[in-house]
Amino acid sequence: MSVDVGPSSDFAEKELRLVHAGRREVGVVRWNGNLYAVNNYCTHRGGPICLGILGGRLESDRPGSLWLDVSRPTLACPWHGWEFDLHTGCALPDPKIRIRTFPVSEVQGRVLVDLGGTEIGPRGETETPAIQTLNPGAA
Amino acid sequence: MYSGPIIDCDVHHARKSDEALLPYLSAGWRDYVSGRGPAGLVPLTVQDGLPNPHGFMRAETYPEGGGEPGSDYQTLRRQLLDRGDLRRAILTFGDDSHVAGHHNPYFATELARALNDWSVEQWLSLDTRLASSILIASQLPELAAKEIRRHADNPRMVQVMLVDNPFNYGFGHPVFHPIYEAAEETGRPIAIHGGAGGWANPASTGGGNVNLYFEAHTLWPQVVMTHLVSLISHGVFDKFPKLRLLLIEAGSAWLPSLLWRFDSEYKGLRREVPWLKRLPSEYVAEHVWLTTQPLETSPQRRQMVDLLSWVNGSERLVYSSDYPHWDADEVNNVSTRLPQEWHRKIFFENALNFYGWDEADLPLTATVAA
Repeated sequence: MSVDVGPSSDFAEKELRLVHAGRREVGVVRWNGNLYAVNNYCTHRGGPICLGILGGRLESDRPGSLWLDVSRPTLACPWHGWEFDLHTGCALPDPKIRIRTFPVSEVQGRVLVDLGGTEIGPRGETETPAIQTLNPGAA
Repeated sequence: MYSGPIIDCDVHHARKSDEALLPYLSAGWRDYVSGRGPAGLVPLTVQDGLPNPHGFMRAETYPEGGGEPGSDYQTLRRQLLDRGDLRRAILTFGDDSHVAGHHNPYFATELARALNDWSVEQWLSLDTRLASSILIASQLPELAAKEIRRHADNPRMVQVMLVDNPFNYGFGHPVFHPIYEAAEETGRPIAIHGGAGGWANPASTGGGNVNLYFEAHTLWPQVVMTHLVSLISHGVFDKFPKLRLLLIEAGSAWLPSLLWRFDSEYKGLRREVPWLKRLPSEYVAEHVWLTTQPLETSPQRRQMVDLLSWVNGSERLVYSSDYPHWDADEVNNVSTRLPQEWHRKIFFENALNFYGWDEADLPLTATVAA
């Protein structure tokens, strides 16, 4: 089931917006021109991951050497700091653990999030969340 | 009771006297040590240890002819080497093992060199079952690396031993890396021996120094935990992927809970250490072994076995007696506390694999000089 979450102009580069999509809260962000959508639910402890910090992926090949891979949007949960790759949904420290991501598309100037066949979230998800917008100017 | 072959990974040997080391010092250092006239020799061991009210040695291990326990080969042979099917004993020095606790780094470097030569000439020549640790003065890591390489061609100098910490950082700090580079290059494991607390700076335990031997002995594992966390956090096993680590006399019951915590911390704090490519517990599973002594005593035997099972204890533990120290563990005692199906691995095979030996290379019976 695809849900229209707003006009394309609402989704500025690298500014994550939290929107309602059916019964879900979904974070939607445009990163290097590509759209990503992620369930606002951290599978570690159920935290509101979309309220966390979005950035590139900090990488290294040896102690003391750091670089930022801006091609890999990474979302860190505000509860306990677990980082997830928005490409795959996988946790960086343990790829066996994933958050739920959704396909996103733009059709005729609208952003559509494909929730798949169900709106029922996994155990512990909020079904009727209050909308929070991290980018109030675009609301 | 276990009656199969044994490798003992922690046997403390000692000098009969300070004078016994003098021939192994260079002429200049020999004069530095012995040229004080009536003041006698410069102390060869660090002097600020916490006293054990029992003494550090088992009373019956004092040789009849005098000298410190572990200083007389015949006594050690009778009390340890010839009891049971002992195939190899790894010598780990006594008070001399605290060479990295000396304030003078140049003197410590010379002592380590001399002590290694003494160990080769005075002990390895006596009995083919004996192997020795390589002592190093980690105060000067580049010279310590040179000392490790000096023994590269002697297969009976089997590991590089770290005890005291001359710097105020854990052993993972890059200042120590020349040591690990030489160890990996020469195929020698690193062996960290617990018990540095109280002999040297920096503080013997996290949170501050202790005042009593009772405190120090209880907290020995804490020091080794610091070094293990440090080695993994600083990426030592990524930088030196062939390096193996043995934790001696630090216990083992603490390892499961430390690893549970360590993995959790990594999941939250990967951003600070993105050079780590695996969970901390995965580095431990590949690179780290522990000696049995002192095997913690749980209220019920099963509890300790369950704990050790969390860290694959049947594969990661190697037997050590700690002879001739007061808190030594005998084979019979250890064998009653661990499952029978673990025995051959812990008493023999795990050490065989850890040191990269072939069973056929170990003497079935001792070849003894004189």
